[in-house]
Amino acid sequence: MIFSTLEHILTHISFSIVSIVITIHLIILLVDEIVGLDDSSEKGMIATFFCITGLLVTRWMYLRHLPLSDLYESLIFLSWSFSIIHIIPYFKKHKNHLSAITAPSAIFTQGFATSGLLTEMHQSAILVPALQSHWLMMHVSMMVLSYAALLCGSLLSLALLVITFRKFIRIFSKSNNLENESVYFSEIQYVNERNNVLRNTSFISSQNYYRYQLIQQLDRWSYRIISLGFILLTVGILSGAVWANEAWGSYWNWDPKETWAFITWTIFAIYLHIRTNKNFESVNSAIVASMGFLIIWICYFGVNLLGIGLHSYGSFTLTSN
Amino acid sequence: MEFLNPTTAPKPCLPRTHFLKAPLLHCPFKLTTFSPHTSQIHRRSFRQPPLSLSVTTTCGLKTPQDSKKSKNESNNITKQIILSEGGPPPLVEKSGDAAGGEEAPVKSGGGTGVMGLVKRLPRRVLSVLSYLPLAIGEMFAIAGLMALGTFIDQGEAPDFYFDKYPESNPVLGIFTWRWVLTLGFDHMFTSPIFLSLLALLGASLMACTYTTQIPLVKVARRWNFMQSSEAIHKLGFSDSLPRASVQDLGVVLMGAGYEVFLKGPSLYAFKGLAGRFAPIGVHLAMLLIMVGGTLSASGSFKGTVMVPQGLNFVIGDVMRPIGFLSTPTESFNTEVHVNKFYMNYYDSGEVSQFYTDLSLLDLDGKEVLRKTISVNNPLRYGGITIYQTDWSISALQVLKDNEGPFNLAMAPLKINGDKKLYGSFLPIGDVNAPNVKGISMLARDLQSIVLYDQEGKFAGVRRPSSKLPIEIDGNKIVIVDAIGSSGLDLKTDPGVPVVYAGFGALMLTTCISFLSHSQIWALQDGTAVIVGGKTNRAKGEFPEEMNRLLDRVPELVNSSLSRQSDNTVG
Repeated sequence: MIFSTLEHILTHISFSIVSIVITIHLIILLVDEIVGLDDSSEKGMIATFFCITGLLVTRWMYLRHLPLSDLYESLIFLSWSFSIIHIIPYFKKHKNHLSAITAPSAIFTQGFATSGLLTEMHQSAILVPALQSHWLMMHVSMMVLSYAALLCGSLLSLALLVITFRKFIRIFSKSNNLENESVYFSEIQYVNERNNVLRNTSFISSQNYYRYQLIQQLDRWSYRIISLGFILLTVGILSGAVWANEAWGSYWNWDPKETWAFITWTIFAIYLHIRTNKNFESVNSAIVASMGFLIIWICYFGVNLLGIGLHSYGSFTLTSN
Repeated sequence: MEFLNPTTAPKPCLPRTHFLKAPLLHCPFKLTTFSPHTSQIHRRSFRQPPLSLSVTTTCGLKTPQDSKKSKNESNNITKQIILSEGGPPPLVEKSGDAAGGEEAPVKSGGGTGVMGLVKRLPRRVLSVLSYLPLAIGEMFAIAGLMALGTFIDQGEAPDFYFDKYPESNPVLGIFTWRWVLTLGFDHMFTSPIFLSLLALLGASLMACTYTTQIPLVKVARRWNFMQSSEAIHKLGFSDSLPRASVQDLGVVLMGAGYEVFLKGPSLYAFKGLAGRFAPIGVHLAMLLIMVGGTLSASGSFKGTVMVPQGLNFVIGDVMRPIGFLSTPTESFNTEVHVNKFYMNYYDSGEVSQFYTDLSLLDLDGKEVLRKTISVNNPLRYGGITIYQTDWSISALQVLKDNEGPFNLAMAPLKINGDKKLYGSFLPIGDVNAPNVKGISMLARDLQSIVLYDQEGKFAGVRRPSSKLPIEIDGNKIVIVDAIGSSGLDLKTDPGVPVVYAGFGALMLTTCISFLSHSQIWALQDGTAVIVGGKTNRAKGEFPEEMNRLLDRVPELVNSSLSRQSDNTVG
């Protein structure tokens, strides 16, 4: 009982802090840069990180197995991964554009996990026989971490695309979805940066140069984070294969989830290969990465939504039984 | 300072050799990197261009010239290259299994006419295969086919596809069952199209490793010492330190984990060379996994069996071969005895785990191994793996009015995933009567049996372990035991060790690939040091790291500077 209350409290604290952080981001956009606010948003993200960590640990103690067995838990873990990706550069004193992606992503996953859609899943406590293995921790945590990193990287690439084709996008920007939302925040960052530039140098023609620089930075960061996500995805898929050889009788069964994980892997392998050739511009690789964004969501949600294959644990399905 | 001794610098190769080698191998990517004409352009693209992105277009224009030139030269050069390849670096041997074998005759081939054409063909094939856009296209095609394979239901009977993709109402206007069945999309992952694409990708992997990656590593190892400050300024990052000495820079770089080579006024340092090697390892690991997968597909046995508790089966009877290389082994004669099948439950009544206690008996009936298997905990013996995958209820042991016990067979009434239902029937009165009546018993698991009387009304629930009698229609029934059947999957798979080796190698090399190969050049120019560097991965962090390192290089006062420069010369 005390555990579930604690869990409840932590969920709400983390969610409200992330909302405040996002509000601060918006304020920074409207009013020019206020140093104190910027700092407090970073502090807010750290507080969120500890709240979600606390949430996971509580659940772990309470359920006596790692909280990675169903969709709700993996979503919480996903937002934990986003927040850890957010705060690592902060501690290393790297100023980068990741924070503009990770904070909104964290709130979306956290919000979705705690929303009414998944309420009946919060209590699920038992672990089906197939999941009782030490590989659960390795496989699922690696997969979710890699999803987080790859989502961040592909969102950065999307931001790059948006900035490159800004005029073009503006016409279509009325259709508002998750992608545009996150891209919006990176634009805030971009506008901020440009404001600074204008104040410091008052070179109006420098806009193009800084835009180019921003594109280059986005490109580099997305490359870096996607490489990291790719490593995690490789380890995740391979540990899953080893586990499948223990539990299902073969290391590769062409199960839909497996297949989509492999498709994701292939897409990001293509991204990494395009990067090696200097004849391709960064826009090309960014297009591939944004395709990867969609594919990760199909892999993470879509396959479970259809309820096919062996991976349909602890998820809701469209075909109710 | 022995560690800065110039003699440690490996500078074995003439710059000419690696320029000449490029045309022979004939790979489009490498050409742009290697020949002096384009290498300048290539370096320029590392620099942050002022305002334009037009670098790539010039690059494209130059390439045809280079390839033309390389064709002219290739004939004269072949013999020279054999000489220069007298002592090839160990890397080439390592990749020998990949493509070295088929390439060997090409090197000696300088003939003309038809023979020359035939001998040049493999080289042409090699250059086509290592063309990166082709490989990317292959990967896209494979990804697309896999996606299609998850949308189309796999392994159904043709009738299913007639219904689902009728010709009268084609999906997207054209897609009908004819497509599905002709192209083999009903079994996508074993269809010839998919497998041949995988094979093509494997060939591309080999070709690319041989023609592009290995030469890149060779260059990365050779490329040292820049003698002009212009060359250094053309690098992605460059800076000049006034009043500094190149040796101090060397010490700082060594402190940061760089390998430093110093010769006269010039310095060369690198870090993370493994990051250059690792992509080769990634490709080889992928090939290893493909080989292992092929071995699995051609040489394994699979079998499924449902055995009631207490019965036996012989492994060889249930195994069926998967591929043409599948050959039974000695251990196929082993007999398996199911000692016990049982389940554990959570407090809420849900199944927590299935267990089967198995004994393996050899031909003489002697027990060779006994193990309790469960899901996630298979039994391995002589190359055979036995998995716990399924279960059912085979029989109920019932005492009727203290007679028996009778074994009542249980029939599956509903099998829907984990929600199973089994039923049995105990006739009462005249068994030969036309409409015999009796007691029905239903069970969802081995825990509890639900009993219904002759009218079909609910009579009660009993646990097999309780031995508690129940009185139905004047008959005293005791349920002694519920006997389960264990569903076992058996397999032999000769590919697993190879695949696992590939997995390990892939994990390791992918991680190492994340390392950046950073190179730094520096030149003492009077009192100033000109520093330049480039890296292949962490392009965002590299300038920051460099600035941090360069801040640590001490500034020299005039008197000590003269001494330092003496040292440098001496």
